[in-house]
Amino acid sequence: MGAEGRRLRNSIALTRREMLAAGVAMMAQLPAGGAATAGATTGSMTLAWHTAMAPRWLDPQDHDGTATPDNFLTALHDALIKNFGTELYDHRSLAERYEFDKDGKSATFWLRDGIQFHNGDPVTPEDVKFSYESYRGALASTFKAKTEAVDIVDRRTIRFRFKEPFLDFLLLLGSGNVTGAGWVVPAKYYQQVGPDGFKRKPIGAGPYKLAAIEPGVKIQFEAFENYYRPVQIKNFTMVAVPEAATRLAMLERGEADIIYGLPGELVDRVKNNPKLMLAPVLSGSFWLELVGFQDPKSPFHDKRVRQAISLAINRAAINDAESAGLGRVSGNWINDDVQFGLPWPELEFNLEKARALMREAGHPNGFTVDWLTPLAPFYSRGERVVAQLQAIGIRAKLQVMERGVFLQRIQAGIRQWPGVQIIMHGARIGGTWANWYESFFKCGGFNAVDRVCLPELDAKLDRYKSSIDPAPRKELAEEVQRAIMDNCYLVPVFRHAFMNAIGPRIAAHKWQDVFPTITTGYAYPWEDIKLKE
Amino acid sequence: MRQFIIRRTCYSLITLLILSLTIFTVVRLTGDPATLMAEPGARAEDLARVRSQWGLDRPWPVQYAQFVQNILAGNLGISFNYRMPVSELYFERLPNSLQLALAATTLSFLIGIPAGLLSAVRVDGAWDQVGKVIALLGLSVPGFWLGLVLILIFSVWLEWLPTGGKNDWHNIVMPALALGWYFAASLLRLTRSSMLEVMRSEYIKLARLKGLPGYVVIAKHGFKNALVPVLTLAGVNLVVMVNAAVVIEVVFAWPGIGRLLYEGIFQRDFPLVQGVVVLAGIMIVLVNLVIDILYAFIDPRIRLTR
Repeated sequence: MGAEGRRLRNSIALTRREMLAAGVAMMAQLPAGGAATAGATTGSMTLAWHTAMAPRWLDPQDHDGTATPDNFLTALHDALIKNFGTELYDHRSLAERYEFDKDGKSATFWLRDGIQFHNGDPVTPEDVKFSYESYRGALASTFKAKTEAVDIVDRRTIRFRFKEPFLDFLLLLGSGNVTGAGWVVPAKYYQQVGPDGFKRKPIGAGPYKLAAIEPGVKIQFEAFENYYRPVQIKNFTMVAVPEAATRLAMLERGEADIIYGLPGELVDRVKNNPKLMLAPVLSGSFWLELVGFQDPKSPFHDKRVRQAISLAINRAAINDAESAGLGRVSGNWINDDVQFGLPWPELEFNLEKARALMREAGHPNGFTVDWLTPLAPFYSRGERVVAQLQAIGIRAKLQVMERGVFLQRIQAGIRQWPGVQIIMHGARIGGTWANWYESFFKCGGFNAVDRVCLPELDAKLDRYKSSIDPAPRKELAEEVQRAIMDNCYLVPVFRHAFMNAIGPRIAAHKWQDVFPTITTGYAYPWEDIKLKE
Repeated sequence: MRQFIIRRTCYSLITLLILSLTIFTVVRLTGDPATLMAEPGARAEDLARVRSQWGLDRPWPVQYAQFVQNILAGNLGISFNYRMPVSELYFERLPNSLQLALAATTLSFLIGIPAGLLSAVRVDGAWDQVGKVIALLGLSVPGFWLGLVLILIFSVWLEWLPTGGKNDWHNIVMPALALGWYFAASLLRLTRSSMLEVMRSEYIKLARLKGLPGYVVIAKHGFKNALVPVLTLAGVNLVVMVNAAVVIEVVFAWPGIGRLLYEGIFQRDFPLVQGVVVLAGIMIVLVNLVIDILYAFIDPRIRLTR
């Protein structure tokens, strides 16, 4: 090495003291516990929630199987894997990696290093095991029936072993709007305070820790400084505001930054205000069930009648009126954002064709439907369908039921729906197409009960569930959905938009910056939402 | 007097028993809460587990007996939705409702009584017509509409007051006005009619004949006597405002008992609805009992009535 080389080496080399100083400076930048280097976590954000806030939504162990707890769990808790952005279920969160055996009989997860709960305790495999084994919410019985054992391999590794191939394990575990089995709670603390105590003062491993709670009214969070991802906003408040007009007024005044559940009549006020941003998140599907179509005496038994009904529905008009045109009129009754959900082209609106089919089917003057009953509170949607069916001579009366009564009658089977009846369902179910089918179509399904019984399609579902090969599974899933659509066993109406709005303080170029995920209608991930400079 | 108090207390207890039976039956007629508490994909055994967990699988008479026994022990049950004792939830919200009700009562006094007085003194005159319009609007304008209009004007357009919630005194102004407005109208009407009745009485004529100044006749002899039924109504109104300001509390996101009741009904939370209604009933019955006893003290003839 010549003199020039030595000079160069000396100019870039650091002394031992300088190295130490640099090291200390770098360490000082890093939060403890392996947390991510965050920018300045400052400011505050308020979400105006649209119903009362139940403390049970803060406890993943009591997950009710709906999308609602998602909004709270994603702030307070974290899961091994979860839905995130466009990742349906397998985004690695507390688990830095996982392996799922090819035979579907075990799954192994490796936890991130240095992750903590809000009380400073480390997240351990023991916590994961406790959370899974003591889970008692939606689909708990499915997990319990299929799981042989949960083994703690080492201080960061945990393995789930199954009695039989459990191909949907990851999908279910990671679908936060289907089940809470994948969310991890601190075992020691949970056992110490009990389920009710936990609901009052929950501790999680999520980006926000609880600061204060007024049951049903307000929840205040504070950024968790040791979260493994940067959390942008320091204080976060969720406040329950049941009245939509009040929520909107709060957004207009800057008292709230994000609001949910805007009814159609208020949408224009957001659209016309340049400071606000509308966030129409594509959400649940609505469809018609023609009750008793398998009975030869029912007018719906004739496929041409079912087709005529489908052709008589002006889906675009319903979408315009009900979702300000921001829903989707094409598609399957099953949302296509679930696994193996089959995309389906837009269904035709053609009254001439519909009338011709009714004539061919022997109903030139139509017929009378005793009742058309929509899911509460979507009565106006039912009213529109009633009006549209008149164009082909189908005379129906609208039956309005309170939601609880509606669900009770749905779940009581066909004896609750005598005569000629149409039910207008609406649902948003996560995970996989099979969850929709099992609930609303399968003979003996929770919501289908005995109203629909097509053994050949149910047999295909059974084959699908017992198969461990993805290709035939996909094929079977599509075959079943195609059969339903081709035969008009169910008549899709539209997918409505869950209307939300964003206030001027939130940094967002487009609404998808705050609502990027396709699996939930709520803003998420909370830690990524930023305020404007 | 002792017999009178015992008799009235028995009537009050019977009223509460009927109330508890009515609310117990009515909430159950709305259907099975298990379907709302279990997950949508729940199987029959999951629903049965939920029913058993909350004692909903037992016969109604057994459930009712348990309910009454619990009330007597001061236990209103555990809310299905909040998983917390109903009494804890109720008493957590009670100060908020009391605050709102007191503010609304004060406002209704400030509007209703002077306007009623003026209407009675200037009967069929311009002030009386204004009073009639205020009473008509107060009783016919729905609270939710008035609330939303107030929000639009004072929060959105003028930006003077916050929209909803409960932080400081600014938050109470609009809900108190919207709630007090209706009760102001009823106070106005009662003050007016009561004053008219009193002003037609013999002792007022005597006071005038004695040459007392008009304002003394109105203030000292008229208004003082006309105020008795008005205060009685105000007392009952206050209890109603505490427990049943459902619409106003929902519109203004005010965390009171009315909103708690609304949430309970919406979620088919039997223990919560039963608890709130029974506590409200106890309050109303107690207020009425106290008023009855006070009347009996003042007017001995009442003690003799059956």
